[in-house]
Amino acid sequence: MADLPPKKGDPEWEEWAEDILDSTEFDTDLGKRISKDALRIAEGELSKAEFHERYSDEMKAEFGVDERPTEPAPETDTAMPRVPGDRNQTRRNVLKAMGGAAAAVGLAGCVGASADDGSETGGNPEPDTQLGMAIDTERCIACLQCSEACKEENNTDIGVHWPYVFRYEDEHAGENREDFLTRHCQHCSEPSCTYVCPTQARYRRTEDGLVLTDYDTCVGCKYCQVACPYGVNYLGKDEPNEVVGNEFDGDRVGRDGRTVGGNPPKGVMGKCTFCVHRQDSDDEELQGTTACEQACPVDAIHFGDMKDRDSDPREHLREKEASNQYKLLDEVGNEPNIVYIGKRPSKDAEPVQGPVSYEQLNMRDGNYDYVGAPEDAAAESEEGDAA
Amino acid sequence: MSGVEIDPERVLKPLKNTSKQYYILLGLFTLALLLFLEAWVHQITYGVGAVTGIGDWGISGGVPWGLYIGGFVWWIGVAHGGIAISAAVRVINLDKYRPIARIAEVLTVLALGMAALNIVLSMGRPDRIFNTIVQWPFTVHHSPLAWDIAVISLYLVLTLTYMTLSLRSEISALRHRLPTWLAPLYALITLGYRPDEDEKIEQILWWLAVAILALVPLLSGGVVPWLFSLIAAQPGWYGAAAGAAMLTESITSALALVLIMTVVFRYAYGWHDMIEDGILRDLTIVLAFLALATIWFTMHDVLTGYYIAPVNIGALTAGMLELNFFWLAIGGLVVSVVLLFGMIGWPEYFFNTPLLVGVSALLAITILNKKVMFVVEGLMYPTQPPLTNLYPTGVYSPTLVEWILFLGTIMLAGFGFLVISKLIPMIELEKEERELLRPNAETDKTEVE
Ligand code: SF4
Ligand code: SF4
Repeated sequence: MADLPPKKGDPEWEEWAEDILDSTEFDTDLGKRISKDALRIAEGELSKAEFHERYSDEMKAEFGVDERPTEPAPETDTAMPRVPGDRNQTRRNVLKAMGGAAAAVGLAGCVGASADDGSETGGNPEPDTQLGMAIDTERCIACLQCSEACKEENNTDIGVHWPYVFRYEDEHAGENREDFLTRHCQHCSEPSCTYVCPTQARYRRTEDGLVLTDYDTCVGCKYCQVACPYGVNYLGKDEPNEVVGNEFDGDRVGRDGRTVGGNPPKGVMGKCTFCVHRQDSDDEELQGTTACEQACPVDAIHFGDMKDRDSDPREHLREKEASNQYKLLDEVGNEPNIVYIGKRPSKDAEPVQGPVSYEQLNMRDGNYDYVGAPEDAAAESEEGDAA
Repeated sequence: MSGVEIDPERVLKPLKNTSKQYYILLGLFTLALLLFLEAWVHQITYGVGAVTGIGDWGISGGVPWGLYIGGFVWWIGVAHGGIAISAAVRVINLDKYRPIARIAEVLTVLALGMAALNIVLSMGRPDRIFNTIVQWPFTVHHSPLAWDIAVISLYLVLTLTYMTLSLRSEISALRHRLPTWLAPLYALITLGYRPDEDEKIEQILWWLAVAILALVPLLSGGVVPWLFSLIAAQPGWYGAAAGAAMLTESITSALALVLIMTVVFRYAYGWHDMIEDGILRDLTIVLAFLALATIWFTMHDVLTGYYIAPVNIGALTAGMLELNFFWLAIGGLVVSVVLLFGMIGWPEYFFNTPLLVGVSALLAITILNKKVMFVVEGLMYPTQPPLTNLYPTGVYSPTLVEWILFLGTIMLAGFGFLVISKLIPMIELEKEERELLRPNAETDKTEVE
């Protein structure tokens, strides 16, 4: 922002910017409009979703790809090589090409100013539908209902939590406060888990962007687990699930004929499926829903098509556009499809027990030993409303 | 050309006479194999997740890859080093070391098999391994495991071709002296053999050896480290010197094992005059410097990880320094280097073959330890803040089943040596030496189908 000329709208500034834009091979008018609206985002007059919608096509036409530099620059310790086939390289080249225009009008700077909120990267353009979530951590009360409902729905092994609720303490404006973060598989648009899979058992379904595991072909090599930066994979162990203890009763076979629903068999990799059996069922009531979303008593989870402007998550994101919005580990480059609303946990976030423990709901918390200190939890005054 | 006198009669002895000790050894190894199979059936029945120390990283605080994958990297290193030693002997014409070349080749073939087996052991559903092969053409451009398969296969083909070619004229010359029940195998090896091909084959072998030498750094120091370093989620697996370090460790462990096997054969068949002390002493010098280089790379790793490293790498290095296994590895390396240099400097006091075998074993185990640590350590620490704090640090210790299965692959390799030593001469015989055994041209013709 430092090298941004003094005032937007100032005629001198406009001339200066136009000159620079004209010297590039890119469309001057488009650049001007984009930069003006980018400033409006910074002022809070325009949501990023709307901004994206407005310019997506034009950006694609002009630059070949719609990748605005809305993400914070990767830190050195995250700038690591990735599996071939990833498109970071081309993205970088495009960014370089855009550099002249974007930097000149301060676009990068303006958008960078609000970079910590939901970076609405267009991502992989293939699917028309991209199922995803908006999770409102400002509403979450860490009641663990989502975790429990998922267990009932998918009958996952006892220590396995497809949605896991982090309960942590973090510095908020100088004071240490408890906060919560529900973590699912992010159903990434650039999922590192699918690239490494030697059998194509882990795949991204093209029509709706779900990342699924074919339980019939997975060899259980655990490569996907190693390659996923989010730690959301669990190898099937066939352990009894004490919450329900009965069989998964959805349809295991998805609409593409592959066995992808419910808990994984022993020796096979599993993770959150975004309740694929519901999405693929004939029951319209179930389509477009997940068990965790329905169970949440405070409506913190919003599930739907992230590409549809009127979907539940998009609407919710618009509603809460004043709040901070972000994607977890977006600097890694997996292009996750869950957008969080609320404060991003800092690197100093420390796990705590939270108002409800997994054991209280008859589930086992793998993290519990680590979080430990039950006396800590007891001493906690249990004020769950972080919002 | 060299002072070594190879007595072909005695080289062939193991193929004809079998001692009581051999049968005892065979019995022991067979028992070990049965135990191995039992353990594997157990693992498959109850599931990898249930009977091994392997767990899910994330909230469960597990480590998804352990002894098996560490063991895989170790075996791959041994394989690459083994064939490199044999190829070097041929390319640089180190005739003096010819007696160890075939041992190194056999070690390579066995090690490749064991590397592959370790991957299979690590799988939750090994019965589906075929899927990996079916999907290979579609996954090879992005799946590291698919490259792996390609690398192992390429190497197996190269090594087997190399070995078969080098065996052709030998086998055909010795046919009448070899066990008759193996005739089909020998017929296959010598398929279409004509005595005038010898010269051509020598040339081909030389070029193959050159190709192998050129490929070793690329595969052992390239593809294998890439397998790990391309996983962005695990920064501990990435490092500019990773390739060079891996290559050094590979050749160190391979040479250590070649030394052990050489001493074993020398002892078992009384080949002291053919495999002289001088050979062992020279190899000791090479081993000493390789071990020193391994220490040097380790220091390098620690230093770069400790000082200006990004936060998570720094944490990783700090974590590594707290592991007992790390200090065990350092201890193993330092002790080996001291002893090896002692052997070089004051051979009259320190040089003896049992000690050399001991140090070689220590080095091989130390490098195994380093490989397992490399794999496990990288997975222990969730690396991206804020997950770094929110997830627990992983814990891993191999269970009995894992030990039995991994040590089983070592037993299996030993078993392989026992069997192969009954099939082919373990020391390559040169033309003049073979001719001593060839009765005459006519009988030879009638014997070749
Ligand atoms: S969160 Fe992990 S498992 Fe889920 S799609 Fe992304 S990389 Fe794959
Ligand atoms: S564990 Fe299964 S899904 Fe994961 S990479 Fe291996 S084969 Fe693919």
